[in-house]
Amino acid sequence: MTIEPRIRPFGERGLLVELGETFDERAIERARRVADAWERLHVGAAVPAYASVVLGFAADLLTPEEAERRASEIIASTADARSVGAAADEQPADRRTVEIPTRYDGPDLADVATRSGLSVDEVVALHTGRTYTAYFLGFQPGFAYCGRLDPRIVAPRLDRPRERVPAGGVAVADGQTGIYPFASPGGWRLIGSTDLVMFDASADEPSRLRAGDRVRFVPR
Amino acid sequence: MIHIEVAGFGSTVQDHGRFGQLRAGVPTSGPADPFAFRAAQALVGNVARDAAIEVVGASFAFRCDDSRLIAVTGRDVTVAVRDRVPSWSSVFVRAGDVVRVTGSARTRYAYVAISGGITSEPILGSRSLYPRAGLGRMLTAGDTLPLGAARATAEDAGRHVSFEYGDRAAAIAGPHVDRFDAATVARFFDAEFVAAAQSDRQGARFDGPGVASRAGEILTCGVIDGAVQVPSSGQPIVLLADHQTTGGYPIIATVIEADLGIVAQRAPGETLRFYRVERDAALARGRELRAVLATA
Repeated sequence: MTIEPRIRPFGERGLLVELGETFDERAIERARRVADAWERLHVGAAVPAYASVVLGFAADLLTPEEAERRASEIIASTADARSVGAAADEQPADRRTVEIPTRYDGPDLADVATRSGLSVDEVVALHTGRTYTAYFLGFQPGFAYCGRLDPRIVAPRLDRPRERVPAGGVAVADGQTGIYPFASPGGWRLIGSTDLVMFDASADEPSRLRAGDRVRFVPR
Repeated sequence: MIHIEVAGFGSTVQDHGRFGQLRAGVPTSGPADPFAFRAAQALVGNVARDAAIEVVGASFAFRCDDSRLIAVTGRDVTVAVRDRVPSWSSVFVRAGDVVRVTGSARTRYAYVAISGGITSEPILGSRSLYPRAGLGRMLTAGDTLPLGAARATAEDAGRHVSFEYGDRAAAIAGPHVDRFDAATVARFFDAEFVAAAQSDRQGARFDGPGVASRAGEILTCGVIDGAVQVPSSGQPIVLLADHQTTGGYPIIATVIEADLGIVAQRAPGETLRFYRVERDAALARGRELRAVLATA
């Protein structure tokens, strides 16, 4: 569902731009475009997510009113769906494909299969059979929200998040899949694991995945 | 060099923060109490980009190889170099003299700034440490850290900054305020909350009358320092320096930058009230605090 974009104050140094209210690939793409355009102004950082972008600005560079005006201009410039894919950095050739070697040994795999009315092998085949898009990163350094999961895989978030998910956990939840870069509490369902290092602070580009990447899970 | 003799529990090097990796999911980090950090830096002639030590755990001691101007700030901190010296003040310390920093039960964070700054190796463009993701580690006794060339001298000693840690924090409504009933919003800006023990550099947690939204969760969105997230339990969490870059709980209000330290420094069991302001008042308060530092 498309709504009219809204700009809301987020403290005195930020704005929240809402581009929609649902999980929708077009809104994700537009959020990324708005964030890129904002960062080109060099007034502060931007954080895109599913259907929103947070725009930060330093008080000595912009007033809130100026920030809202610049945000409105950027939103208007990204309104045309055709312009969305037209920017130079959005050419398909620039999109990398990252393979994630995965052992399908997660503690929730059997439960996900049961909920989905599928066999374990069928869940694995559906999970490995798609190329996903890394929508945006958040939650942890290097954690990419990837989608879209085959709708036949039924995996709501856990009612009670686990206190500790191991690093490298491959998980699914609500139409998405992702890899936990670090051990942490987590509410997604674990179907597998990988030894791939997803975030390495000593690397030039520390995160294995960046927004826009294509992602494939390869069974091991 | 600075030699750390007593490290506390969870002390780290922090500069003003790491802003280039937000879209890779890396928190900005930086000080949990930004004004106390900036005050310490200003008192020794440093700028915000310089790194200082954030002390966690009420006890810290160090000495430097050469004579340096230092400043210690934070809530309820006491400083001794042989004898007691003032906190929130620039103090000239001779080479080899041990500086002891002691907090009270009400101290969560203290800042030790040394003229010239800590010049540890930057990681991804910042000296702020974020051990959870392998960006450096917490300080331990026996650590030595390099220092930059001093920016101020003995003549700059004796300057002072005043700051009161009140029990009220100003907040701007939203961004998700319309997902809460008007009565809930009114309660949030009126009630007394009690600081919970589980607070850390990611977030300050409070117990109080429930202020849950009408709908439990939102579509994950980016978040900033000071955001007051309300999980379905109705007990608010104010996001601090190490907060995740995105979150899925509705945000009833956002604490203004100038009052982040008041929130971060509430000790378990202490009360806090939030009061509503608009952006103009928040910016004016920020200017006031910068003016205080300009005279330091």
